[in-house]
Amino acid sequence: MGVRAPLDKGAEFQAYVRGCLDSLHNYARLLARPREDHEDLLQDSLIRGFQGFDSFDRALPFKAWMFGIIRNTCIDRHRRRKMRLLEDPLDDDQSSAGLDSPLYSIPLAPEDILLREEAIEEVRAGIRRLPLLMREVVELRDIEELSYRDIAAIIDRPIGTVMSRLYRGRNLLRTYLVEPRRQDGQATRIRHEL
Amino acid sequence: MNCDSAKSRIFPYVDGELVPAQRDEMDAHLSGCGSCRRFVEQELHFRDAYVSRLRPDPAPAHLRESVDRLLAGFTGGTITRRRPRYRRVVLAAVAVVLVGAGAALGIGLSSMLQRGNLLAELTEASVDQHQKLASGLLPPDLVDASPKTAEAWFRRRLDFNVNVPELKHTNLTLLGARISHLANVEVAALEYQVDQNNVSLFVIPEEAYKRLGLSEKPKFKMLHHRGYDVIIWRQHGSGYALVSEIGRRSCLVCHSPDEKLDVPLESLATPKRRTDT
Repeated sequence: MGVRAPLDKGAEFQAYVRGCLDSLHNYARLLARPREDHEDLLQDSLIRGFQGFDSFDRALPFKAWMFGIIRNTCIDRHRRRKMRLLEDPLDDDQSSAGLDSPLYSIPLAPEDILLREEAIEEVRAGIRRLPLLMREVVELRDIEELSYRDIAAIIDRPIGTVMSRLYRGRNLLRTYLVEPRRQDGQATRIRHEL
Repeated sequence: MNCDSAKSRIFPYVDGELVPAQRDEMDAHLSGCGSCRRFVEQELHFRDAYVSRLRPDPAPAHLRESVDRLLAGFTGGTITRRRPRYRRVVLAAVAVVLVGAGAALGIGLSSMLQRGNLLAELTEASVDQHQKLASGLLPPDLVDASPKTAEAWFRRRLDFNVNVPELKHTNLTLLGARISHLANVEVAALEYQVDQNNVSLFVIPEEAYKRLGLSEKPKFKMLHHRGYDVIIWRQHGSGYALVSEIGRRSCLVCHSPDEKLDVPLESLATPKRRTDT
């Protein structure tokens, strides 16, 4: 039987939180409605996280574990207010559709993905424009770099749902990044030298 | 595997999320299909150039402070501090009672004090943020950008109009830009250097500026606080606060050197900030 070294639980929790506070703050800000509630949501979630810290499996990413707590705290707060957390425009039944479904065909040819000069900012702004359910999954994957499995655990949905939302979100993002061709027929392409 | 099937798996393929058998199948298809390979290459380029550089926005300083206070109460296995939220609720309740009492008495004094306090708060916060920007404690999110780029950057993040003045002076440099907070109001912060002197310009939503209750004339108000000069005004549907140690010379941020400023600066006494309520 393995014995964990006696660590101060409070100090350990603090170290974990400080290591990923930006991410926790961003996720709370993404979910909180109204938006200005996100700081309260984060504080409530940290209290819950600390209370349940004994159940945290140290082999897993702390950030992903806390994301799940933030999401559940958010749902509880909304239930208390008798509000729905997320108006879900996507039917979860769609998640069971096979990946080979024509629904998933990529709408853009590579040469159509054209960006302006401030490309990185365009990408960030594009992600912010995504519908919440897609944005959540795209951010968790592309900004937080979590695995599909971790994301599925956070949003409490099958991996197929993660894949379908990610697929739709990324494709939609790419449609935002298409720049109308200029009058002279020229266009600025993605600058790979960045 | 046909092309439709391959295209549907491009994202999990580049994400490294396919099981080995699926990955092998995909590799086999890509080795013989230039069209699908182009999609994969494009996706990898897109990821390398942009997605891999995305990071979560930094948590604001005031949030870090409040989280630090909360975490400090997490000792051993217990939470020893009262939750700050309760304190805020109590303070908010007290504020509501005070405002209600003032209104009931029909006295404008409380709102005058409140306005004075808001101005003091804005001045203090502007100086504080300026110091942090100048010392690098608050790093800019956007650097080496032109005024137009900064303007577009803010437009995508803030829901009020931010006009970034053109650079009209060779010794004027726009060092960077970021979203900042002045007294809990989200503002655009621009950091400049004028002849090697740091100057910060904060663009404030008009609604928040109006709460200061400042008169329209004279247009520019100058305050002196903790050794800094703070010039406050309203224009183009936004409020502005310019902080520096060089007084009127900081106006070069918006005006060319040979431009005559026909509007005099009114020096205001900095109101004392009331912290006892």
